[in-house]
Order: sequence, then structure tokens, then C-alpha cells
Amino acid sequence: MTGQLRERCRRLLQDGAVQVVIGYGVSTSDGMPHPIFVRRPDDVDKLIWNEQCMANLTTYLTRDAVKALGKPAIVVKGCDARALVVLEQECQIDRSAMHVIGMACAGVGSPRAPKCASCDVHVPAAADEVIGEAPAQTGPADPPYAELEEFLQKSPAERFAYWREEAARCIRCYACREVCPTCYCPRCIVDKNRPACLDTSATVKANFAWHVTRAFHQAGRCTGCGECTRVCPVGINMRLLNQSLARAADEHFGYRAGTNRETPPIIGAYGLEDKESFIR
Amino acid sequence: MGRIGVFICWCGENIARAFDMDELTEAVAEIPGVRCAIHYKYMCSEPGQALIREKIRSEKLEAVVVASCSPHMHLKTFRAAAAAAGLNPYLVEMANIREQCSWVHEPYEDETVAKAVSIIRMTVHKVLRNRALEPIRVPLTKRALVVGGGVAGIQASLDLADSGYEVVLVEREPSIGGKMAGLSETFPTLDCSQCILTPRMVEVGQHPNIRLYTYSEVESVEGFVGNFNITIRQKARYVDIEKCTGCLECWNRCPSREAPSEFDYGLTKRKAIYVPFPQAVPARPIIDLNSCAKFLRNECGTCLKVCQANAINFDDQDMLVTEQVGAIVVATGYRMYDIGREQENAKYAGYGEYGYGQYRDVIDSLQFERLLSASGPTGGEVKRPSDGAVPKKVVFIACVGSRDNAKGIPYCSKICCMYTAKHTMLYKHKVHDGQAHVFYMDIRAGGKGYEEFVRRAIEKDGARYHRGRVSKITEENGKLIVRGADTLAGAPVTIEADLVVLAAAMRPATGVLELAQKIKLGYDEFGFLSESHPKLRPVETNTAGVYICGACHAPKDIPEAVAQASAAAGKVQVLFSKGELTREPEVASVNEQTCAACFACVRTCPYLAIDKAEIRDRQGNLRKMTARVNPSLCMGCGTCVAVCPSKSVDLEGFSEEQIYEMVNGLI
Amino acid sequence: MSEDFEPKIVAFVCNWCTYLAADLAGTNRLEYPPNVRILRLPCTGRVDFNLIIKALEMGADAVVVSGCHPGDCHYTAGNYHARRRWILFRELLETMGIETNRIFFSWISAAESKKWQHMITEITDQIREMGPYTAYHEISEATA
Repeated sequence: MTGQLRERCRRLLQDGAVQVVIGYGVSTSDGMPHPIFVRRPDDVDKLIWNEQCMANLTTYLTRDAVKALGKPAIVVKGCDARALVVLEQECQIDRSAMHVIGMACAGVGSPRAPKCASCDVHVPAAADEVIGEAPAQTGPADPPYAELEEFLQKSPAERFAYWREEAARCIRCYACREVCPTCYCPRCIVDKNRPACLDTSATVKANFAWHVTRAFHQAGRCTGCGECTRVCPVGINMRLLNQSLARAADEHFGYRAGTNRETPPIIGAYGLEDKESFIR
Repeated sequence: MGRIGVFICWCGENIARAFDMDELTEAVAEIPGVRCAIHYKYMCSEPGQALIREKIRSEKLEAVVVASCSPHMHLKTFRAAAAAAGLNPYLVEMANIREQCSWVHEPYEDETVAKAVSIIRMTVHKVLRNRALEPIRVPLTKRALVVGGGVAGIQASLDLADSGYEVVLVEREPSIGGKMAGLSETFPTLDCSQCILTPRMVEVGQHPNIRLYTYSEVESVEGFVGNFNITIRQKARYVDIEKCTGCLECWNRCPSREAPSEFDYGLTKRKAIYVPFPQAVPARPIIDLNSCAKFLRNECGTCLKVCQANAINFDDQDMLVTEQVGAIVVATGYRMYDIGREQENAKYAGYGEYGYGQYRDVIDSLQFERLLSASGPTGGEVKRPSDGAVPKKVVFIACVGSRDNAKGIPYCSKICCMYTAKHTMLYKHKVHDGQAHVFYMDIRAGGKGYEEFVRRAIEKDGARYHRGRVSKITEENGKLIVRGADTLAGAPVTIEADLVVLAAAMRPATGVLELAQKIKLGYDEFGFLSESHPKLRPVETNTAGVYICGACHAPKDIPEAVAQASAAAGKVQVLFSKGELTREPEVASVNEQTCAACFACVRTCPYLAIDKAEIRDRQGNLRKMTARVNPSLCMGCGTCVAVCPSKSVDLEGFSEEQIYEMVNGLI
Repeated sequence: MSEDFEPKIVAFVCNWCTYLAADLAGTNRLEYPPNVRILRLPCTGRVDFNLIIKALEMGADAVVVSGCHPGDCHYTAGNYHARRRWILFRELLETMGIETNRIFFSWISAAESKKWQHMITEITDQIREMGPYTAYHEISEATA
């Protein structure tokens, strides 16, 4: 697939169909795939594709420095491609002004990333072209919220204690925010002062509030790529929080972020029949 | 800011009975930022207000907190008092220690006192972050657009024009007059519909303040209250109505007579060049492309030859014109439920079993109006369509569509009970030996003189009323066999009728949804336009500067439609009564530099007051997109603030800073 | 719980319904415990989840958010938007183990002064029973 990918990208760059390819290349430091931005046809051989291509590259589409490189081609897995739908719904990208190269994918990471167990998008939807064949079915995917449901077996007090511990470990590096394709605000709420809605110090209280905020800002928007959790230097499992909101969106509104661009986002819309039972 | 004056009111005994006012005042004086704290028996009284004014000046106060009753009671009072002393009124807040403290908690208890101090502290915290605001001023174009030239639109236009405002009246048919122009006589007085309407139509046509666009439609609406830009499509008429003298020689000489007459609901044919009806306004003809030989086969051209005024123009094109208005009145009226089996929307199931469209003598009530009308196809004699015979037995069926969930319409069409009673009467007056039968569900005759009218139809004019539904109509030997039930008698009823008249449900006019989307109006599941409040704002809509009247809002009869039209005109007059619009400045605004342009706020705003806007540099290159609030439309609910992830939108009066400061002052 | 524990309850209420209900409770002299602090906002649509967290951080033992009934919103739809956010937010709170039985949502119209009285009385009693929200207050005081 790497060869095919390189040939396609060479052609796209040569023809001037795109000015930059956002793809994976080998890092000189650790030999693992890292994001690279290929601008010349001669450089396409730096592109690779393998099972370690974890990063969700769509996060770069909204960055000014990347936009300045010209029309992009972007390499996406099925899970990554869902972020494109959200970005398009939220007017962050012009889907017609980019070329999306979908990679058929049987799963990434060793051991396999947790998200891959419940993957139902081995072949990216709505890509401009797909490289590779759909992997042979290896049995049904796990239920999507299995990890969360297991966590919810704990009592509320245990859950609180768990997050208190996680908040205590958080160093507020904001890697989770930086890597997230749908965290694209030019000025994040934590960086706002007058008023400072959120305390920026790395105290348990402030970190707790940060994780509530980060998660809730993803309500109905997180596409479950899991990058926040993968890049967290202290290993906080933010997927659990993301999943709880994804499951809520699914259960209450039949909504799964990034699966259908025609369905209006659930925040900013409402239903007369939305659940009432918890309201006095 | 650090010079806050706190004025604590006793409200006679109402507040003072719960606190030691001196102690309370001392506690409040300790709150950081408070320059002076004073208590007085009645702050809202003139001496109380004078005290506030005096302290604002002497202490050079930068903001004021009045701790007394609910802001719903006296915020305006105290803001005015502050303004009189030269302090911006938006730097005044109230701490509600009466309704929400002294009246509901145990006097002198520690917790009660603590709560009062806390309420005042929160309010001091808030007012520290208040900003001086000026009312928003919006320029105002004092002209109105009225959409729809039926009786409601005519009434609204005349009321506005008579009060001195220019009116742009847009009607999509070739003449104004609407449904009412085709009616025979009107309940409950039986005055002739045309006799009362046509003078009003003429008035519209001749009024110096009314610019009439017939055979025209609203193409687009831009702008907002006070400042709407309307584009109107004048459809090609092929007759220059400025040149035309209205001699109607073209109409007399046109050899074609093939097209069904719209005005007579297909009961007669009309010519290819025609005036919809003799009293039309404007009384100018129009050429129907679909039946004119010139257009169909490039033959004829008689009208062109006979027209002395050179008004015929076969090359006529649609024209777009623009008009600036400050307010819009929508009066687009109704149409009838399609009774036949085929429906444009599967939800409406139709009435195939009644044979409408299949049997020529099964007609709807608007067609029957034409048969009763002196200007109608039969000159006012009741003759049935199939053979022109005078029907001796006529069955009227009410609620055809209405109140019938199975057919998709649960609502009552309101006017059918009355006009059906009228139909039986008028029929009896014209056919003395005839018998009218009515199938009905309930008789709803609420209205001045309405119940008496129905009783007269039954008791004096002998209409026979059967409470029940009709299940089927078939045709046998030139008779219509109507099979129904009389649930009061508990027996099936079969009537051999000569004519059947169906009182079909009222539905909003076609195209109203497209119009609603252009103007940004809400509508219900049936397409009726939504008022702003069903009781207190019945002709306003949630779009500022747009008003509704007549049957576009819900089924209604002529008096109601006219009353509502006058109400809508009155609302426009209120709007136009000022030199410019001033609005409360407590509205949202966007920090355009930090806005991520995700437009969650745009999707959320209940008033469509937020737009997607572009920020361009001096060279005109797009720098970024941003949300932008139109302060003329924002009502200040703040829902946008809650959904903005980066808090790049904020609401004056309840800003993030103010609220966070309040929470900081809570405990 | 210690006898003298006084629950701290913060209520974010809309200006047009629940605030007026609280006013009416005053006019009708309907007594209720003084533990509630009322913050007047234009609409429940304005109440962001950050405010609920902020109130807990400030030491609240319970938070109330209350506004107009569905269909009665002064701004047509602010409460519908709020309701939808609450549905989602509650699930997040559950996952984080925050005591959702200390966070109350209600619809109280301008006429329902009795409902306001009863609700605040009930919540105060309930929280008095449950005790202070120590778990959250501890993180507010703790440093990493």
C-alpha cells in the first residue's frame, strides 16, 4: 500500500492537483511513523503506511501554518475520516478544497489501539479515493462503549476517587487539546481571562474542571479517534469521558458524531421530545 | 471601579422587620468596593431617590446597588434616578432582599441576615463589572411591505396608507381581492361579498400611498427590522399595464376560450387574454401562455392587432424590482384541502370515496359560492355543473378534512359550520322547493349573531341537519347516492342528491413555507405561521418587524381576519411612531478575533440574530470567518454564550465577568 | 452530620419564570429555608456547565438550575437548548462520579411559587441529611 500511496501522491503533486500531502513518514529519532508534510514530488518516497500510523492527521487541517501550504491531500484512516465530517459541519474545512486519501485499515498499534476492537470503519467513508482492500472480517466488532460500561461498574465514590487521582497526575500540558482535531479554537477557553472561567494552575480542583470542560466541549463532536489518550504523557484515559458523552448522544439522540454530515449537530439543535425525566 | 453606593431600603416594615438595619448596613459597608452604605425608609419614594441622586454626586459614585425589592418591581425607577444624577443607568443593579429574603425567612435569624448580606455582596460584585451602556439606535424606513392582497392584506394596507405610511402591496395573482372576491354573500348578515370588498379594492388601487404589485411575488428578503431590502419578481404579464387603458377590446376579440377559469374554480372557461373578474384591480388583462395560440402555435395575434394603446408585448419578461421597507405584514391567506385522492403530501389522505373530481356534481364550497354569486357562471341561479339542472336536493358535508386525524388534519377549520349554514339558506332562498341536508360532526357557531344564524337556517329555512359522517358517494341514474349515518337517530341515512357540496378544510396557501423561510418565520406542522405569543403577541412573530394576519396564521373568518389585519397595521404604526428604533443594549456581541467560526451560536440563536461574517484585510483578502451578532435582532437570552466553547461571545448585562464575580461573591 | 451544618445551595434561575416564582413566593409570604442563593440570569439557555462546576468549587453543597417550562420560554427555545445540554452533561458527571443527586434541574413557572417553596425546602432537607459535599470540597482545597 505504501508504494501505491507514494505513486498517487507523486501524481497529485506533479499535476498540481494539490500543493502538499499530509501523511506519515519515519521519524529519525525513534523510527516510528510521524506526521510529515510533503510538498515536492521528489519527496513522496518519504511517505509510509503501516500498522503504526496512529496519528489522526486531520488535526492539521485547521492550522494556519498548514493552510498556508496550499491545497492539501490528506492520508486518513476510517476513524480519522469521521473528524472531517465534524470539521465540515462546523465550517472549519472546505471539503471540496482538499483531496482525501483513505487507507483501508485492519487496525493500528501493537498492541492494538483500544478503539480498533470496536471499529466499524475499516474502509474510510467519503474519501476521494481508497487505497487497499477492506480487511477480511475477523468476527463482529466489540460493542462501542464496552470500556466505559466496565468502568461504570465502579461505585460513584470510586469513580470520583479515580478521577481525583487522575486530576492529581495531570500536568496541564494540553497535549490532549493540541492533538484533537475538533479542539481548534484559536483561543481556548482556559486561555481566556476576564473572567478566567477556568483556573490554569495544575491543582486537583483546576485539573478536574479542565477535564470536565475538555470532555463536555466534545459532546456530540468527539469521533473517538482516541488521540487525546494516546498522547497523554501521564496516561490519563480521557476516552472514558469522551465515550460517556458519545454514548449519551447515541442513546438520547441517535446521533454519532462524524457519521453523517447531513444530520445537524446536536448542540445548537433541540427536540421537543428530548428526555425530561430528570427535571423536576 | 471602587466607588459603589449601596442603598438599603426598609420598605417600611417589609424589610426592616427582619433585620437590624444599622447592623446590616455596617456589614455591607465592609464589602470591598463599597464607598458608602445607607439605609432609608422608602428608597423608591421621592426623598429616597433624592438621597441616591445626592450621594451619586457628593460621593462621586461609579455604580449603585439598591437593596430592596425585586428588580422586576423597581429597576427602571432606580436606573432613571441614577440617570437624573448623571450616572449611566446601566451601572445600577438591585439586590432583592424583600421578595427573596425578608418576606420568606425568619426575621433576625443568623441565616436570614447572612443571606441578605450575601445577596447584597453578590450584587456589589456584579455591579463592579457593569459597563456603561447606551441604548442601541437603529435607523428606520417608515414604509411597509404587505404580502397578499386578500381582505386581510387590503385592510392592513389601507390602515397603514391612511395613517400616512407608504405601503408596498405584493399579490401573486393578477388581481387583488383574494378568496373573498369570489364569495357570494357573507354570514351572518348576508351582505354581498363583492359589494363590501370591491370599493376597498378600488381604494387600494387608487391610494397615493400604496404601491401595488400584482402578479408578483417576493423573491428575497434581506435585512432586519426597520431595514428590510425586498426583491420582488414581477412576473411577465405580456400586457403593459401602464399603457393599457382597460378598454378590454382584446378580451372581447380573443378567439380562444379553452382554459378553465381560476376565478370560477374551473366551473367555466376563460379566454387566453383575460381579466380575472370584471371588478379586478388593476382592471388590466393578462395573457395566459398555456392557452394562447400565439405562444402555443405562433398563430393569431388578434389582441396585438386590436390594441390601440400598443400595450400587448409578447416578449415581456419577468422583472426584478427592489423596495426598502421597515416592516412586513404577511397576509398570504389559505387554500382548500385537496379533496381528491391524490395528495401532494402522503400525510393528507384525501377523500376518494366522495368522488370529487370524478362526479361533476360533487363540488367544493368555494365552487358553490360561485354558483350562488350573481356574478358567477350561472348568474346566481343554482344550476348543477353536469347538466345545468336546478338541484332539488343538495347534500352539504362539513368537516371534509378538518378534525379528521386519518386524513392528516386534526384542527377545526372554524368557518365551515357557518358558511354551510349560509349555503343552505341561500340555496333555499333561490330554490324554494329545494331541500338542503347537512352532515356535520358538531356545530361550532361561536361569534356575534352566529348561533342565531344557524338556528335560522334550520328553523326558518328548513335545512335538515344529520349529525354523522358520510361514508361513500356513488352515482346512479344521474343521482348522487350519499350514504351516511345519523348518530343521533342511531340509523344509517341514504340521500339521493342532485348536488353535493364539500366543506373542505382550510390549509395555508401554497408557497407559504418558501416565503416563511425567506422572511425567517416559524410555522407549525401544517404550515400555518407562528405568532410570537398566542395570547399577548398574537400578530407579532419572533422575527422583529414582521407581523402576520388572516388565515396564514390559522383558519379564521372575515371579521377575524380584518380585525387581525388592523391589529398588525397598528403594531406597524407603533413601530413607525418613533424617529428611530431604540433597543435595550443588553445584547450579545462576539469577540471576532478569538471566534473559531464553528457557528454553534448561529445554529442555536432562537432569533436568527447571529450571522456568519467575513473579516477581510485592506486588500480584500479573507482573513477569517467569524460569527457576528446583529444587535437589532438580539433579544439577550444568552444561549449563544452557553454554547460557545471558547466564550468568544458574551452578553452585556449578564456577562461572563459579571456572573463569575457573582459566583465568587456567593459564599 | 453535625447539628449545625447549613447546606449551601446555589440556584441559577431564569429571569422570566423561576425568578418571578421566587418573587411570588415572597409576595405570598411562603416561607422556606434561607440556604439558597439565587443568581438571576436571562434564561436557562444562558447557564453554562462551567457555572455549575464553579459553584461546586466555591463550596456549594447543591446546585439548582431552574427556568420556564417547555413551550413557555421567554426566548422561545432557550430552555430546550439547556435541556439538551443537561441530558449530556449529567452523563459526564455520572462517569466522573460527581454526585448528581446534588444537582437539580427544574421547570418552575412564574405562577408556581408553591413549587419553588416546596422544592427549596425539600432540597435543603435532603442536603442537610446528606451532609456537605466533602468529596468535592476536598479537591477544591487540595493542591497537586
